[in-house]
Amino acid sequence: MFPFLRECRRMVHDPLYLSSIILPPLVCYILFTSLMAEGLPTKLPTGVVDMDDSHTSRSIVRNLGAYQHTHIVSHYPTAHEAFDAMQRGDIYGFYLIPERMEAEALSEKQPTVSFYLNEAYLIAGALLYKDMRTLSELTDANIGEEQLYARGAAQWQVMPILQPIVIEPHPLGNPWLNYSVYLNNTLLPGVLLLTVMLVTVYSIGSELKQGTAQEWLSAADGKILPALLGKLLPQTCLFFSMALLCDAWLFGFLHFPLGGGLLPMLVALFLSVLATQTFGIFLFCLFPWMRMAMSAAALWSVVSFSISGFSFPAMAMSPAIQMLNNLFPLRHYFLIYANSALNGYAAEYAFTSYVALCLFLLLPLPFLGRLKRVLTTYEYME
Amino acid sequence: MNRILTELHRILRDEGTLIFLILVPLGYPLLYAYLYTNEVVREVPVVAVLPSSTSMGREFVRMVDASPSVDIVLRTSRMEEAKEWMRRKEAYGIIYLPNDFERNLQRGEQTHVSLFCDMSALLYYKALVITCTDVSLKMNDAIRLRLMPGLTTRQEEVSTMPVQYESVTSFNPQSGFATFLIPAVLILIIQQTLLLGTGLLAGTDRDLGKRPHQVGGKGMLARAFACIIIGIFTCTYMLVAVPHLFHLPQLADALTLVTFILPYQLACTFFALTLSAFVPNREACMLLFVFTSVPLLFLSGISWPESNIPMGWKLFSYLFPSTFGINGFVHINTMGASLHEVKTEYAALWIQSGIYFLTASYCWRKYKGV
Repeated sequence: MFPFLRECRRMVHDPLYLSSIILPPLVCYILFTSLMAEGLPTKLPTGVVDMDDSHTSRSIVRNLGAYQHTHIVSHYPTAHEAFDAMQRGDIYGFYLIPERMEAEALSEKQPTVSFYLNEAYLIAGALLYKDMRTLSELTDANIGEEQLYARGAAQWQVMPILQPIVIEPHPLGNPWLNYSVYLNNTLLPGVLLLTVMLVTVYSIGSELKQGTAQEWLSAADGKILPALLGKLLPQTCLFFSMALLCDAWLFGFLHFPLGGGLLPMLVALFLSVLATQTFGIFLFCLFPWMRMAMSAAALWSVVSFSISGFSFPAMAMSPAIQMLNNLFPLRHYFLIYANSALNGYAAEYAFTSYVALCLFLLLPLPFLGRLKRVLTTYEYME
Repeated sequence: MNRILTELHRILRDEGTLIFLILVPLGYPLLYAYLYTNEVVREVPVVAVLPSSTSMGREFVRMVDASPSVDIVLRTSRMEEAKEWMRRKEAYGIIYLPNDFERNLQRGEQTHVSLFCDMSALLYYKALVITCTDVSLKMNDAIRLRLMPGLTTRQEEVSTMPVQYESVTSFNPQSGFATFLIPAVLILIIQQTLLLGTGLLAGTDRDLGKRPHQVGGKGMLARAFACIIIGIFTCTYMLVAVPHLFHLPQLADALTLVTFILPYQLACTFFALTLSAFVPNREACMLLFVFTSVPLLFLSGISWPESNIPMGWKLFSYLFPSTFGINGFVHINTMGASLHEVKTEYAALWIQSGIYFLTASYCWRKYKGV
């Protein structure tokens, strides 16, 4: 009990300690969810080059402007000028209608419209591609429909001729293709776990730095395990509160999909916090001096955002990385999230991820003797 | 000059600064480029659910399987089996062809193919939808010819596709992830490692009882020069060698790139030095600076489009050199822009350099620390 109270006192007396537990996650919870509040980016700046300027071309441009992701901000006289505007970043793409498009379409010469997309901005490029491709298909369908009628086709014949096979996509769990759902469900826990990692290493290292390691150990009668538990438990309580806040914010306030119920997600996040804490202890045992342990913790945590595969999938990474990513609690949290909250599958399908998180808890046990030796003999060097 | 050498010596001797100012700029770009080196997702495992007797259905599935993006791992007639494969993560999508798939087509009616997709990665969805749409367009052409026997191929083509379309994906031809993300990450690493490196130096001073105003304006300048000297090497390596090594687009004109990176390095250095004046000890900068990498990447507008960032956050993002640095570098490096086309970012970086130079000088001369 004594190390627990001692830690609480340290926390209250060190404003940096307390604020570094609460601030980073809180700032990111608010920042990321308000940044992506729209869900799917709409009204992206788009350009048009209408060299035909006919009845049909004007109607195509009008239709394009009505699409969800497209916002026509400018008309350019030539493709060259539109391309320059794209290079400057004024627009993410433009739609090019060539001269005599209408006349050639009516005289069955098959003119070609083009769309130019800036895929250096991948999301904006992909969304505009979707709008422009749909528009082009529908334009064809409209003109084609009229021509088929002109040839004497009956109404019931027209659609099957234009589009015999229709593709119907069903995005499971996130039918709105909401980017906030897609990214924030892992980004926010990711920032929380990054904080857990750094604070764990900091709190142990600061005992060495301030020369209070002996005092800390003797508060637990010289036993390393109770000393560690007492030290980390107050942090665990605060991190669990931040985890609760995260889930309350995502699932309660923002109503993100929660197919498998709240319990598996809470368990997963709590387990991930504990796993990261023990991983922090493990790192400190490996590099038992503050500057190295903190650096390792920082580098490790930042990589977790990419390697856990929630934006670019792990299956497209090299086999070595697919093995290595098992060492990141965020990877397992992400797999549980996708299984439970997003897809609503039973927890047993994410069984290995739960087991992996539990294994993290055992990670520092073989090194505790070493840690105790370090704490009793080491002196902080400048 | 002596002061600069002393600072350089300190940076090389301290493990922390050595890691953040030299090893991270050398190693992290390689790691990130390696993570995303495949650029796109290939062969997403997908189950096809189709009735047993349909030659056209089999043809459809075969064409999807032949595409580079999708791999049909199982053909079955039972939806339940397909769902179980999804639950066991052995497949990330289901293509469902209804029982009347072929009959509808033969009768000249429309038929529907349903795609069910795991949304844990949007790239699975993109791969599946684009592949199936392309296959359906190809098959539709063949089916139409049969439906309207009177038509010649040319007539059929013209009546169903009176206007052709082509899409030109500029600057990132294969819509790759590395091409899109790595340039931004490289630029961000420059700023973040400077933040941590100078933070560690300032924190060590404080740990030794030396307050900012005791280091003084000259001490600050010496540190800035030391950072810039190291920066010349790390920037050349990161912005020239790394993209070359991983075959990322490099359309930058050398002179343009150097001219643009100069104010970026200056702005980052003085920005970092300003903030580092307030670092109370070595560890504080880790606890408070490390996490900012993730939000700053998003605030730059490289992923979530800048046009859709709420005004308040946009103004906030203008405080950081990385916002202008990332956009300017992406335009110059990936899109081959000249300095004229990134003049806003370029001017902003010079303004930031000036302002942060003044704030850094002020803080390091006057701030006494709490």
